[in-house]
Amino acid sequence: MKKLVALALAALMALSLAACGGGGGGGETADGSADNGGGSVNITIFNSKSEIQSQFEEMAAEYSAATGVGVEVYFSSDTVAAHMATRYASNDPYTLAMVDAKDVYSLGAEHAIDLSGENWVPNTQYAVSVGDQVMGFPVCVEARGLMYNADAIEAITGEPFNPADYATLDAFKGLLDTLVAGGMEAPVGIMKEDWSLAGHFLAEVYEEQDDVFAFVDGLYAGTESLADNAKFNALMDYFDVMKQYNYAASSPIAAEREISEQYLAEGKIAFMFGGNWDWSMINAYDYSENLGMMPVPQNLDDGANQKLVGGGSKFFFIDSSEYTSDEQRQAAKDFLNWLVFDPAGNKFLTEDCALVPAFSNIAAENLDPLGASVKEYADAGNLIDNYNYLPDDHYSLMGAELQKYLAGQQDRAALAAAIEAYWASVTPVER
Amino acid sequence: MKKNTLSYKCQQYAMFAGVSTLAFVAVVILPFVYGLYLTFTSWDGVSKNKPFVGLSNYADTFSDTAFWQALGRTVIYSAIAVVLVNVVAFALAYLVTRGVKGQNFFRAGFFIPNLIGGIVLGYVWKFVFNRAFVALGNAFSIGALSTSWLATTSGAMLCLIIVSVWQYAGYMMLIYVAGFMSVPKDLIEAAQIDGCTPNQTMFHVTVPLMTSSFVQCLFLTITRCFMVYDVNLSLTKGEPFNTSVMAAMHVYNQAFTYKKYGVGQAEALILFLVCAVVGVTQVYIGKKAEVAA
Repeated sequence: MKKLVALALAALMALSLAACGGGGGGGETADGSADNGGGSVNITIFNSKSEIQSQFEEMAAEYSAATGVGVEVYFSSDTVAAHMATRYASNDPYTLAMVDAKDVYSLGAEHAIDLSGENWVPNTQYAVSVGDQVMGFPVCVEARGLMYNADAIEAITGEPFNPADYATLDAFKGLLDTLVAGGMEAPVGIMKEDWSLAGHFLAEVYEEQDDVFAFVDGLYAGTESLADNAKFNALMDYFDVMKQYNYAASSPIAAEREISEQYLAEGKIAFMFGGNWDWSMINAYDYSENLGMMPVPQNLDDGANQKLVGGGSKFFFIDSSEYTSDEQRQAAKDFLNWLVFDPAGNKFLTEDCALVPAFSNIAAENLDPLGASVKEYADAGNLIDNYNYLPDDHYSLMGAELQKYLAGQQDRAALAAAIEAYWASVTPVER
Repeated sequence: MKKNTLSYKCQQYAMFAGVSTLAFVAVVILPFVYGLYLTFTSWDGVSKNKPFVGLSNYADTFSDTAFWQALGRTVIYSAIAVVLVNVVAFALAYLVTRGVKGQNFFRAGFFIPNLIGGIVLGYVWKFVFNRAFVALGNAFSIGALSTSWLATTSGAMLCLIIVSVWQYAGYMMLIYVAGFMSVPKDLIEAAQIDGCTPNQTMFHVTVPLMTSSFVQCLFLTITRCFMVYDVNLSLTKGEPFNTSVMAAMHVYNQAFTYKKYGVGQAEALILFLVCAVVGVTQVYIGKKAEVAA
């Protein structure tokens, strides 16, 4: 009896050790690998958009069945760069990885292959090039701006809501006053998340300058003065208005994103700064039909109040290391071509995932309301480019400064000084 | 067979401790040495090159005020949390060894929070602090509860401490329960016959005999509090204004989010040294205080 128990224990231990060594995929979910015939190729895809993971898994199964190429889709809620770092550290890179633009710049030279010769290159203006090589395949177009709930506004004003009428901050403030007088006590929400405040909102201060590169160089050199900068002041004036009408004004740092999105979806508030990715949260609630996105209102006639800020978002690159075979690389290229040129691939992007396509040959009819707004601005050429070279700690450190401003713990001059001090001290990002 | 030759001893060692030594070297010693090596490079975490930069990461560490602030915060947090955890745990253990009705049920109940992972626990408590308390505060017009504690600097620290106490008290309670049970009944009876009051029995007989429980509990709570990351991440994520970033979270951010792997690793080493010094000192002092019945 004792021997048997000892044997069982030994077996158990061996098993657990084997599991430790062999598994190695802790923290990720994988699915969709179809049983395919021997000898064919298997590729791994890293998806960094959580809202489309289930669609990706279904697509992988269908794609495998149709082409015989085994596709495994992984997702991780880690920071993209951190997750890629762990995969590369364990010599187990993805064949095809979906990352942010800045990751293509930082990883591309060492880890990505040149895609310049691909057929889809002429069909997009959003691909990411490192040096003179195209390395990033744009997954979709995303843009930032002010999200609105037209139904909620019209219910109070009684007339159709035309965003273009409220391009200036004065007009916008007038509308907010009307809404307050009409019974909507606090018509706006502000996301307090650092990525939203610094990564998305503060970034517009740089992106909407006449020459963003010269401006950022000036910040690095410490020669730009934000307090005297017209764009900084125009956007902060807008931010002050948002602060004033914020539904969570008494405790803005306690505002939870889920609640704010729900309020916007249901028309309890009418405006919130965000982007078309917010749809993935809004559609979880009982949303009203007429939502959309408009430019951030500001009293400057540089045209920025006619445009959203954005462009290509999330990029696929193909691994160049020895851990990926040439067959796998070819299969990955085929997959990208399938996305762009095959009707099934198009349907997956625009209908299943509801992404705004980054390719001129893909039509998109069934976009969500926010995506439809973005496509409208993109098609009209009214997108201001993303600035993809912010330092890695910018969103976190500057997010904290903007949170202080939002909570009323520092004034505009102190905020400007903090931003200038940060840029002067940080190591410049190569570009 | 000679039993005092070197080869015999080596054989015996390999037979009994070989596998565990191998495992220990592979998963603890090697990564540690490799990590030490990385502190001398300016690796970004992904690159194939690991440029050697000498001691500059350590220089950066010493000039990184955010790290020292985070470390100071961690020390304050740990000091308060360790004391509270052990006081609460001891009190609970005392209560559930008095022979009250259903004490096994209570023991299990108090232990359960420890079975919930730190991440889940953080989210649950975030809901409690952000919504439940605020709703209560508004309903009964309690000023202190009407805004979320998580939105203020000291409030966020308080929340972290509350959650840690709630999480660890049950676990430490179990160790104290074992301590209580290990005190021989005859000694307590002897003390009572000699005329000890219950308080005297407690502090002059029971507690000294339980010293090993205290040493264990303090060691566990100190190291866990110093290394806290999961609750920190899910409950406050460093907010507001990055004022609730603990040392471990700062290290993680440096290494992975800001891509300064070398600096992060150097800071991790310092955190390790601080932990080791505090932990070893505490165990050393505690062991000296131990008495045998």
